[in-house]
Amino acid sequence: MSETADPDAVLRVEDLQKSFGGLVATDHASFTVERGTITGLIGPNGAGKSTIFNLISGFYEPDGGTVAVNGTDVTGMEPHEIADYGLIRTFQTPRKLDGMTVREAMLVGPREQPGESFRALFTRPGAVTARESENLERAAQMLEAFEIDHLAAQPATDISGGQMKLVELARAMLAEPDVLLLDEPVAGVNPTLAKKLTEQIRRLNDAGTTFLLIEHDMEFVMELADPIVVLDQGRVLTEDTPEGVMNDDRVVDAYLGGGA
Amino acid sequence: MSLLGDPVAWVSELTRPEAWVLASSVAFATALVGALAVGALGPTYFLFLVGLAGMYALLSFGLNAQWGFTGLINFSVAAFFGVGAYGAALMTADASPIAGGFSPLVGLAVGLLVALVLALLIGIPTLRLRADYLAIASLGLAEVVRLVVLNERWLTNGSAGLRGIPSFFAGWPVLSSFPETMPGLRITVVPGAPVVLETPFWEAALNVVVIVAFTLGTYAVLRRVHQSPWGRVLRTIRSDEDLARALGKHTYAFKMQSFVLGSLIMALAGVFYTHLNLYVGPGDLDPITTFYVWVAVILGGSGSNRGALFGGIVVVTIREGTRFLNDFAIPVDPAPLRLLLIGVLILVVMRYRPQGILPPQRELIWPAARRSTEPATPPETGTRTRRAPEPTADADERGVDGAAGVSDDGTTDRTRGERNE
Repeated sequence: MSETADPDAVLRVEDLQKSFGGLVATDHASFTVERGTITGLIGPNGAGKSTIFNLISGFYEPDGGTVAVNGTDVTGMEPHEIADYGLIRTFQTPRKLDGMTVREAMLVGPREQPGESFRALFTRPGAVTARESENLERAAQMLEAFEIDHLAAQPATDISGGQMKLVELARAMLAEPDVLLLDEPVAGVNPTLAKKLTEQIRRLNDAGTTFLLIEHDMEFVMELADPIVVLDQGRVLTEDTPEGVMNDDRVVDAYLGGGA
Repeated sequence: MSLLGDPVAWVSELTRPEAWVLASSVAFATALVGALAVGALGPTYFLFLVGLAGMYALLSFGLNAQWGFTGLINFSVAAFFGVGAYGAALMTADASPIAGGFSPLVGLAVGLLVALVLALLIGIPTLRLRADYLAIASLGLAEVVRLVVLNERWLTNGSAGLRGIPSFFAGWPVLSSFPETMPGLRITVVPGAPVVLETPFWEAALNVVVIVAFTLGTYAVLRRVHQSPWGRVLRTIRSDEDLARALGKHTYAFKMQSFVLGSLIMALAGVFYTHLNLYVGPGDLDPITTFYVWVAVILGGSGSNRGALFGGIVVVTIREGTRFLNDFAIPVDPAPLRLLLIGVLILVVMRYRPQGILPPQRELIWPAARRSTEPATPPETGTRTRRAPEPTADADERGVDGAAGVSDDGTTDRTRGERNE
């Protein structure tokens, strides 16, 4: 595992610590996500995967350690500031946007829209219109690329859980992240849709987006991710290729609860 | 589709709740005109009611911009209304213990400014926290403002209130003396019951001009921002603030803007009230106003500007309409009955239509951008095809798009349906 300053590291986590009361959720965790990879983050239940995601994306403040995105130290920043440095995350349970159509829900994705400034709505309506038109077009293309363009006019709360995951991924892509953190992208998704999600993630990765994903579905992770970071009780157990991880006795022990 | 260009198409594109609200509004307006014509309703009192309805519509707009757009729970509507009213009154009234005698435009500016400061004072500590903190803090704020107004006599005249407030157009050319210079009119619709229009009528008419201008102006602004990317971020925050944060939105700033905007609109209603009533007292800050406005917004449909307008008018109708219940041989005091009626109404709405009477009916996308990206509508062929129903929150109006349909090429449709599972 490389700990040196590395221009190819889009995300570097160093010595990250977090505890809740007496429970140590993240215990001096360090790993890097190299640009252009699909890095998997696995571990048994309670290993601290979601906590690490929350620490990286700014939803939790770490007790110690640093998080760097694209070489910038973002430790302790607000989620929206970290997003500005190119890191976007999704959530384990798809978030529902009441009263919006899928297309409207997609349009929340793009960042730095002039129309998000109250004043610009009245002083620069032309710029607002231009960007909104562009975003509508991008949203339509993105939905098409994800093969869910037929859902555009559906209420965003009215589609299946798997479709929501697709919409969430498509929307996150409209924010043009350098690195996208996916929290269990295929949990609760039927195999057909899961396969589709896999294809989409691979396609987006080929186009230049780096991924860090948490997933319980071993088959899915092993097929998609390389390298894989294994967490156990808040510590990084190992970082290796899928083959390496599968043949690692410590990983097997962690999953079978024989870690002691 | 414009109302004037193609009224038939405009009406046929209304959703069911829209048509229902339109029809009942037309019926209600007709009844009012009838009552005016036969002299059952005094024209001056009628104009006062229009002013009151507009004022409640403004208050509902303000709360809708906070609760309906962003999900901010503000229980100090009466406080923001009150500081608007007192700000304007203290600047303009002859009997003002501090300044007094300024132009009503100065009063307007001061009323809004005080509301802005108050909104920032309460927003800065609470808007970073969970939604419930604002709710609790605002509940306290309303009481603090009311007690300050009641007890700080050097500033507010205390329980005596403020008198000697000029009309909104005092000091304006022409308009300031308009009610006196207008000749008295005598209109006879029903023989034997002439309607006399004199100075008080023209004063009330000017108030209606003010409130219509305030209401239309506010509605135009709110409609524009509701359909904008700004409004979309607010609606995202309402559903899921964490999602908005994860997508890079500075939610604290958006919540603050939404809160300040709503508070300013409430203060605007207060400024208008000062010049409508020509007296303000601590009783105007009673929390009941807050709850009337909440009822109006929930009844109309949270998140909908038109719903807030509708809800505000309904609440005023119930509030004022119950005054006449005694005329129809109801041998009880209508005052408590009024609250009972509003309570029953809100229960019925929550039971049978929890989203309110007129929730947002259409996709909210910046209109100019929608026009430029969507293909131009094909020329009218005479056989207008009915458009697919717009998505609404109404469950029984939802399409059946989820089901695999039987079409000409059943096979492709079926495989498509399976893929979409």
